[in-house]
Parts: sequence; structure tokens; C-alpha cells
Amino acid sequence: MDQILGYRPLFDLFLLHLGFAYSQYIVLRAGAFSIGNVGLSAIGAYTTAILTVQFGLPMPVTLLAGALIGLLFGVLLALPLARLRGVYQAIASLAFVQIVLSTNLYAENITGGAMGYSGIPKLAGTGTLLCFVVATIYVIWAVSRSRIGRAFDAVREDEGMAVSLGINVPRTQTIAYAMSGVIAGLFGGLEALHSYAVEPNQFGFHLIIVIMSYVVLGGRRSVWGPLVGVALLIALPEISRPLADARIMIYGLILMAVMNFMPRGIVDTLIARRARRKARKLAPATLKPEVQ
Amino acid sequence: MKDLVLEHVHKKFGGVTASNDVNMTVPAGRITGLIGPNGAGKTSLINLITGMLPLTSGHILFGGQDISTEPADRVARSGMGRTFQNIRLQKEASVLANVMVGFHRHEKSSLVSAILGLPSSRREDAMLRQRAMALLEQFDMTDHADSPAGSLAYGHQRKVEMMRALATDPDLILLDEPVAGMNDVEARHLAEIFRRLADQGKAIMLIEHNMRFVQELCDYVYVLDGGRLIAEGLPRDVVADPVVITAYLGVE
Repeated sequence: MDQILGYRPLFDLFLLHLGFAYSQYIVLRAGAFSIGNVGLSAIGAYTTAILTVQFGLPMPVTLLAGALIGLLFGVLLALPLARLRGVYQAIASLAFVQIVLSTNLYAENITGGAMGYSGIPKLAGTGTLLCFVVATIYVIWAVSRSRIGRAFDAVREDEGMAVSLGINVPRTQTIAYAMSGVIAGLFGGLEALHSYAVEPNQFGFHLIIVIMSYVVLGGRRSVWGPLVGVALLIALPEISRPLADARIMIYGLILMAVMNFMPRGIVDTLIARRARRKARKLAPATLKPEVQ
Repeated sequence: MKDLVLEHVHKKFGGVTASNDVNMTVPAGRITGLIGPNGAGKTSLINLITGMLPLTSGHILFGGQDISTEPADRVARSGMGRTFQNIRLQKEASVLANVMVGFHRHEKSSLVSAILGLPSSRREDAMLRQRAMALLEQFDMTDHADSPAGSLAYGHQRKVEMMRALATDPDLILLDEPVAGMNDVEARHLAEIFRRLADQGKAIMLIEHNMRFVQELCDYVYVLDGGRLIAEGLPRDVVADPVVITAYLGVE
């Protein structure tokens, strides 16, 4: 029993980072190359923290506020970003993360500045986190099977094709930004209510790299990609303790290997392989020869 | 039932004129052919009609409405479906998924019900799946429903594009080389489908290099060369036109 309890902080970390990973996944799924969700998480975290400490509001209210402000800023972020493409989108969204980070640093009388915002009661335990993670995965799963998910896929794969089918690309990506904002804001709030304190650099470049690693490793299409990515990258340094010190180095090596051998991520690669094998078995004569 | 009318359509890319004062009518219930040598500006014209390229000058009317300056997604929603010369599919996704995305403009379930996976969204999903399967059957593609679209032979990939375009339930279908990479049996099967669609009142315009296919199927043919219409008329008259023969084969 003690041994299981010993892993609880790790499991909590797993759950929190799952939320962050899905807030990243949903924009990538819609073909928007944005990392703004990290900034949205920061906004959600500070909102929840301030409302809890300053105004003594209960958890459901503060978390809802975190999610709603994430939604608001997600939609605002979509206004400029949905006009940009590819690497320009990424750069502009990185600028947004920096703006949030600087604001949190310099607005000392509201956010506590570089010292961070502390004294937050720990209201969110493993159970709460688990509930929100399950709800998040359900929503992502439901969306990906719906017309919205189909529009996301079409826009990501080929915008010209999506447009020829009557899909409004900026509107579709705005939906993705809004969903990403809700999830990012919510899990930012949960992070605040779980770790006693938040500080500006917590939501900076380091977190961007970590979250990207989850989604790139696991996969960007299948709903289960982020789950596998987070599970592997969080468990790995724990399984072999001596490696834990070299965590970031190992992340780097794994990413390089994945990019070379499974550029679509573990889950998506496996799914594609299975589908091809099935198709070959079904109607081998009409398939085009495998081009490798 | 919507007719497509092009009035003095003009398009310049810098110094190159892709469309030069093109006047054309694609009536409902008819199959209209567009032929011409490589580089004549056929695909550019389709891109102009579908709003993927802006016009330099001129007007495009669809069902009496001026769509010259509408963005491409609005043009598509007004009832225009197309296929692409360089096939554009979601290669990893299944054939069924590729076709189902075509239903997008007709899906009515609300955003909230889609996000929460409510019954209304799931019912619609199941209904569309059935309609997609019916399309697959019509095109002899039932066996391939679950295959990744990118793994199919090119002729089959073209069929997937056509099914997807038909799923949008368009009034006008623009087909860019629909039977390239198909044998005669498959081409004839498709010709039957196109004729049936025209009989239902849809307008069909097709670009094709297979002259036999054009002659057998088209009610009226326009010939484009260097961005300019050089001939139009019934297929058998057009192919006998010396101007057309010169455009294709050069001067003796």
C-alpha cells in the first residue's frame, strides 16, 4: 500500500500533464501550429489562484473562471493566429506565451511577480484531477467522431481540399483554439490548486518543450496519442532511477529517434500500419504497389 | 437546378494571361466538356469558378447570383463540388472517412451536441455513415470502405474524390480529368453515373484528355488554348474543326 501511495505524486503529475497535452493536441489536430495553450494555462492558473486566495471563492467557481478565461483568451488568440500558417503561427503563439510570462513577472501587485503567487490551499486531489481528465478525454473523443472532428482532419490534411467542401477554415480553427483554451485554463487552475504556488516561469519554454514532446511522441491524430506520450515520458525516468537526472537529455534522444523512425508518433504509426495490413489482406489486387 | 455563366472572365498572373475574355455557359441537366492542350488554362478556369483564385476582371454567375468575389468555401456551400487533377485526399484516413467529410455543409447537429457527443450528433453520424455507404455501393467501392485512401490505385482514388464531391450534394460538379488512370470498363461505368446525375438536373463540367470519352459523353464542348476559347459546339463538330486540330497538333 505504501508503495502505491508513494507513486501518487507521480500519478498526479501524469494527470495534470495529460490535460496540458490535450490542450496542445486539439490545436494540432485542427492544423493550427500554435503553442499558445501554455500561455492560456498560465492565465487560468493565476485566475484560479487569485480568486481562491484573494476572494476566498470555492473550487468549482474558481475552476470555472479559469476555464472561461482560457476560452476567452483562446478565442481572442484565434483572431490573429487563424490568419497565419505554419511556422508563422508558431512564432506568433510563442510571442503570446512570452507576453503572458512578462505580464505575470511585472504586474507584481496582482501576481506576486518573480516570487510567484503562493499560499494557495491544496483543494484539488487525485480524485478531482482524475474526474477532469476523464471528462476531457471523453469530450476529445466525442468531438473527434463528430462533424467538427472531420472538419479538423480535413483542414489539417489539406486546406484547399477542405475549402472545396465548404469548410470555413478560420471558423474551424477558432473552435479548436476555444476548446484548447478551456482545457488549458482548466488544467492551469488545477495545477494552481494542487501545487500550493504558481510562478511565471513555470509556464515558459520548458513546459512548451515537455508538452510538445508528449504529443510528438504519442501521436497527433489519434485521441490516444497524447495519453501514450505522457505515460511513457513520465514513467520512463522513474522506471530506471539513475536516468532520472538526465531526464531532459533522454527526452531529446527519444524525440530524435521517434522523429526518424516514427515521424507521426507511436500510436498513429501503429494504427496506420494495421490499417494498411488489413487493406492488403482485403483487396490486394487493386492496391497500388507499396512505395517505400 | 442552377446554371453557371461566365462573362468576360479574365485572369492575369503577372505577364501571363491564364484566362482571356472567356464566355461560357454550363447549363443544368447537361454535361459540358472543356478540352485543350496542356497549359491551355483549363485547371486555372476551374480554380477561378470555384473561388480558389480571384478574377482579374469579369463575372461568374451561379444560379443567377454573382459569385465572382465570394471566398471558396462560400462558393462550395452555394452548391459547387469539384475534384482535383492532382488527387487531394486524406491519405491516412479510410475511404469512408474521406467521403463523410463531404457531408459537412449539410450537417445540422449543434456545436454543443458535437462536443458533448449527445444523441442528436451520434444519430446524424450514423445516418451519414449509411449515406456514405450507399455512395460507395454506387461506385463499386464497398470493399474498400475501411482501406486508407492513400493505399488505393489512382483510378480508385479518383472515385473517392468524386464520391466526396457528390456527398456535398452539389448543383454543379466540376471534374478535373475524372477518368485518367482508368480502363475503358471503369470509364464507361463512370460515364453512366455522370449521365444519371445530369438527368437528375445537375450541371456537370468535365476536363478530359480522353477524346473518345468526351465525344461519347459530352453534350457540348468548349476548347481552350492559351487562355482563350478557340472553338465551341457539339463534340463531333469540334473535333473536326481545323482550328482545334491545329491547336493540338501544330501547323503543318
